[in-house]
Amino acid sequence: MKNEMAHRHGPDQDDPWIRAAQEARLSKAWETPGGWRYWSSVNNSEVGIWYIVTAFGFMLFAGVLGLLIRTQLAVPDNEFLSAETYNQVFTLHGTAMMFLFAVPIFEAVAILILPALLGTRDLPFPRLSAFGYWCFLIGGVFVCGSIFFNAAPSGGWFMYPPLTTKQGGIGADIWLLGLSFIEVASIAAAVELIVGVLKCRPPGMHINLTPLYGWYVLIVGGMILFAFPPLIAGDFLFEMERAFDWPFFDPERGGDPLLWQHLFWIFGHPEVYIIFLPSIALLAMIVPTFAGRPIAGYSWIVLSALGTGFLSFGLWVHHMFATGLPSISLGFFSAASEAVAIPTGIQIFVFIATLMLGKVVRSVPMLFALGALAIFVAGGLTGVMVAVAPFDFQAHDSYFIVAHLHYTLFGGMLFPLVAGIYYYYPLMTGYMMSRRLGVWAFWLMFAGFNICFLPMHLTGMLGMPRRVFTYPGDLGWNTLNLVSTIGAFVFAAGFLVFVFDALRPKSHAEKASRNPWKAGTVEWALELPPGAWGARTIPHIESRYPAWDDHSFMRRYDEGRFYLPDAEEGRREALVTSVLDAQPVQCMRVAGPTWITLATALCLAGVFIFATYHWWTATFISGLLTLCSIVYWLWTGTGEHPEKDEKAIGMGMTAPLYISGPRATGWWAMFITMTGDLTAFLGLIFGYFFFWTVHDQFPPPDIDGPGWTWPLAAGLLLCGSWVLTYGARLWNARGDMLLFRMALLAAVLLALAGIGALVMGPLAHRMDPTAHAYPAIVWALVLWTGAHAAAGVIMQLYCLAASFAGRLTPKYDTDIWNVALYWHFMAFTAFATTLVIGGFPLVS
Amino acid sequence: MTDHLQKEVKRETGEGTDLWRVILAPTIWAVHFLVCYVAAAIYCEKAGRMADLLPVRLIVGTATFIALAGLAAVFISLWKVRGLSSVNDDYNYAGNTPEERHRFLSHVALMLCVLSGVAILYAAFPALVLEVCR
Amino acid sequence: MHDTKPEITISFGPCLPIAAMGLLLSGCVGRQSALAPAGHDAEQISNLFWVMTAGVSIIWALVLGTALAATLGLFKNPTRLTPNILIVGGGVVFPTVILGILLIFGLRLLPNWQSEPDRLQIHVHGEQWWWRVAYRAPDQIEPVISANEIHLPAGQAVEFVLTSADVIHSFWIPSIGGKLDMIPGRTTRLLLEATRPGVYRGVCAEYCGTSHAKMAFAVVVHEPKEFNAWLEDRTSDPNIGTDDPGRKIFLSSGCAACHRIRGLTEIGSVGPDLSHIGSRRTIGAGIAENTPKNLARWITDPAQMKPAVQMPAYRALPPEDIAAIARFLSNLN
Repeated sequence: MKNEMAHRHGPDQDDPWIRAAQEARLSKAWETPGGWRYWSSVNNSEVGIWYIVTAFGFMLFAGVLGLLIRTQLAVPDNEFLSAETYNQVFTLHGTAMMFLFAVPIFEAVAILILPALLGTRDLPFPRLSAFGYWCFLIGGVFVCGSIFFNAAPSGGWFMYPPLTTKQGGIGADIWLLGLSFIEVASIAAAVELIVGVLKCRPPGMHINLTPLYGWYVLIVGGMILFAFPPLIAGDFLFEMERAFDWPFFDPERGGDPLLWQHLFWIFGHPEVYIIFLPSIALLAMIVPTFAGRPIAGYSWIVLSALGTGFLSFGLWVHHMFATGLPSISLGFFSAASEAVAIPTGIQIFVFIATLMLGKVVRSVPMLFALGALAIFVAGGLTGVMVAVAPFDFQAHDSYFIVAHLHYTLFGGMLFPLVAGIYYYYPLMTGYMMSRRLGVWAFWLMFAGFNICFLPMHLTGMLGMPRRVFTYPGDLGWNTLNLVSTIGAFVFAAGFLVFVFDALRPKSHAEKASRNPWKAGTVEWALELPPGAWGARTIPHIESRYPAWDDHSFMRRYDEGRFYLPDAEEGRREALVTSVLDAQPVQCMRVAGPTWITLATALCLAGVFIFATYHWWTATFISGLLTLCSIVYWLWTGTGEHPEKDEKAIGMGMTAPLYISGPRATGWWAMFITMTGDLTAFLGLIFGYFFFWTVHDQFPPPDIDGPGWTWPLAAGLLLCGSWVLTYGARLWNARGDMLLFRMALLAAVLLALAGIGALVMGPLAHRMDPTAHAYPAIVWALVLWTGAHAAAGVIMQLYCLAASFAGRLTPKYDTDIWNVALYWHFMAFTAFATTLVIGGFPLVS
Repeated sequence: MTDHLQKEVKRETGEGTDLWRVILAPTIWAVHFLVCYVAAAIYCEKAGRMADLLPVRLIVGTATFIALAGLAAVFISLWKVRGLSSVNDDYNYAGNTPEERHRFLSHVALMLCVLSGVAILYAAFPALVLEVCR
Repeated sequence: MHDTKPEITISFGPCLPIAAMGLLLSGCVGRQSALAPAGHDAEQISNLFWVMTAGVSIIWALVLGTALAATLGLFKNPTRLTPNILIVGGGVVFPTVILGILLIFGLRLLPNWQSEPDRLQIHVHGEQWWWRVAYRAPDQIEPVISANEIHLPAGQAVEFVLTSADVIHSFWIPSIGGKLDMIPGRTTRLLLEATRPGVYRGVCAEYCGTSHAKMAFAVVVHEPKEFNAWLEDRTSDPNIGTDDPGRKIFLSSGCAACHRIRGLTEIGSVGPDLSHIGSRRTIGAGIAENTPKNLARWITDPAQMKPAVQMPAYRALPPEDIAAIARFLSNLN
């Protein structure tokens, strides 16, 4: 590549006038809209801030609920809260902390800082981030607001049926639908972040030079894809039971409450690590900076993060140790629960080794990092204790677990997060947070936390169960509970000091100098406060700590001597690079401000919120509007034909402006989304075979199945549609437009016929989904597959329309590439569904 | 551009390691884990809680043997990649060349083999200790 | 379970460490404490807890001590090997060995037992928010029905057969052993052996709705002989004072529609069996002492003592009638 550089010349970066003009053009292109149009921003620096502030807002709300819980439990037989209110409060405390704070804050922080860490200006799909944010905000307000109308869910954050399927009111529906809506945001963020790390690293940043934060984001993104979808599948089944009486969890009609527990915890346990890893990732950035040396064992961290990511999927049954499963099953999960402690421990020892080799500078972020270590190690060790199944028989659902989980979450998530906020605050705002207040906040939080939660270990061992709104005064728990309550308020005071410091007017605050912590990583090359454009230029990376290793780096950066120092066409641009070695493959035009993200989020919110109240007409109309806005979004916002094929990107290189297929970000986004979707589908298939396992005879002999003819026909028709869609892509590439369009049209017709045949199976055999879990699960599979096929038809029609409109041509063929990819997944879904519902009854 | 792209593609997919190879070992763990768990869960549900675990113990034993053999195969192939280049002997893998990246990924993958091996052995313990489904 | 389960021989005198903790002394006398074991499992788990707590505390102190020393720069001139030794030794080898041992140790304590025909079976059926209890001794034809109180013989393994009527509950007597869920549509089985006679307290451990906190029961462990006598006594009708005015009011107020009293009324089965309620230690599923005054309070307005309870309030009855019912019930034993 150096050769290439030698014989090409870009603009003269030595000339300050040229540089000033470049900066002016960049500024204009990346300008944040003013006035009310500010809310149409999509750039990561705005959306990231909104996301963080909103997530902390929900956290404070849930924190107040936590204080209410502690106030109620301060003394025995307290009547501060009624039983029903208490149950709503603790349900919402857990729900909001988990779904509205712990997971979203990962997405928020990652959206905000990942582009800076990768030396780029934005993530590949800024509009998707903004859309995710609006979904999160609306869904969160909807879920939290319910408590003010005494309509909040009260079934616990884990929502175990049959308690929650039997409950009247809309509390459980708010939980199910509101959170499904937010899960959409999570998956959107996962797609964005995975593609960001894999495809948007700066040139030269080989995968072994990626900042550790990037590795963690990649791994956590992958975990979200496999962890959240089973819960979405579970939510789907659950809401079908609540709204239409399909008895998936009703034992009287062949259902089983344990199915929900499996689906919930297949999500719920990896989720703990989804929360924990990104926060540890912040420590992996902070620790080397204050130790003044590179991390001692980069590959160990990558190994342990990957190992943790995998092993965390083998732990879910340890939440079900007391459900009476066979000992051997408990044994397997006990084994995995012990094993996961190994990679987790490695990360901690890498941090300690780094500190040992360096010369540690004392600072507030380091203080919080050490506090995190102290708390998390304790939480991890009690985790090893409860992983021993027999011990868990006592500890499970007692206050010991409350203590354990708060130790892991505060030590593994909250303290590192606060450390990260102190650390990155100057990067985002240009101001330093107060050291004095920081020390105060730390000691109040650290002491308060331990005063609150350390005694709970003992409270639990003395027999106090969780989720009780009160307790008798003669069991020896009174003092411990009172101490816990005092600790909770001390912690809250400390947290308020932190919030005050972050939000206070900055007139007296210390302005941050550039790279205030003397860090080595690339994000600190930014000018403070950063301009709207983010990076002055997209750097060429040759080491993990360029600011330490290369003394000319900052100067060359400021002089725009790397990639894309300019916005000649006044467009927002970023580089797409190859996955492993980060060679530039495309100069990507990134979307600018728009209202369509908010509009789409509002329409989608309508679907979920109206469904909560069973207003089906309004739900249907909102669904239609959502579809229209998505199509409008795609039609106007994607697949643009650039005015030229290639452009110079600096450092003597050129890159194409348009690419499609597996090298393009859009293809990866589709691939990743569909992987998540496939996981949800497998969750449903799991449901089918779960019923087979727990029933003596399944399908039950006295209930008609869908037969094999209709499913077979459906399978063949849908697979035919897939083959034709794939063929259409090839014909388009060959320029055979007639064949391309005919094939697509035929594919649409086959798919429609396929949907019909799919529905005819259970319909012709009069399968009543309310009668038994068997027809219900068959219908659920049919519904899922049919809806996906319908979406596939819309995509095929979109390509057809794009072809006639001249947007989709042999040269500009992204749309058909991505739709064909969708249909690969669709074909598998159709194949599996028809095989299971049509074929399995023949062999069982 | 296309020229170096082709070279790049060759480098990324050619000899050496890629991200898929890195996650091979933990994937083996995952499959082994699922096979053991599913076999035990179905067996105990169908045969009743008083049933003797012997068939499950045999399945777990076989699965463990196969999984460990698979891990060994992965380990050996990775060991070769790791030994291919010896630019330097530190364990930082901080160089900015594709070869260094191969060494880095193979090192991570090797250590994941060890971790997966431990996790697989752990998962086999219950079958050693327990005798009935209860 | 004791046929296949090995005994843990480490004996800690579980109360010693607690005594050292001063104010926590109450744990030793707790009726509901997992650290004051009165059962075989609870003893083993309590020992396990102390061993693990000791180990965990030491490991925590070592890790944090190293981290703190590293931060303060107390390690002078660490060689390049130090971090690798630390990571490989502390992060890989040590935990692999310790966790492996702990895992095997834990696995050997898992339930690993088979049904035996000559065991006492107690069927406990959870409902929102109380417990149906039925005893079936090996040679017994008709089960002994009771509610909200469980009697156990010391030194004998008892098989609990656990079911649920409505939502998931969890059956937990911390002093005697671990908990097990009661799941609608499923039957779970738990083997417990009480070792020390006395009165203990069990609770529902799985969140089961509004009054989850008010779902408990008393556990009475007898010497085996005493227990047999007690069970024998329960196979016969209670002493029902025929001229007790409360009896008539009980029948005329419709109490019998839900509650059964052996030998008096066999229709009701919705609410707890009251046959020997006079001899029970608590009322309302372990939430209040069994005194005529509390009984009267309960009958007047049960929801005030247990929110959302299904039993209706009998505020309409004159207080003296309620007092009469309460007296009548107190005498049933």
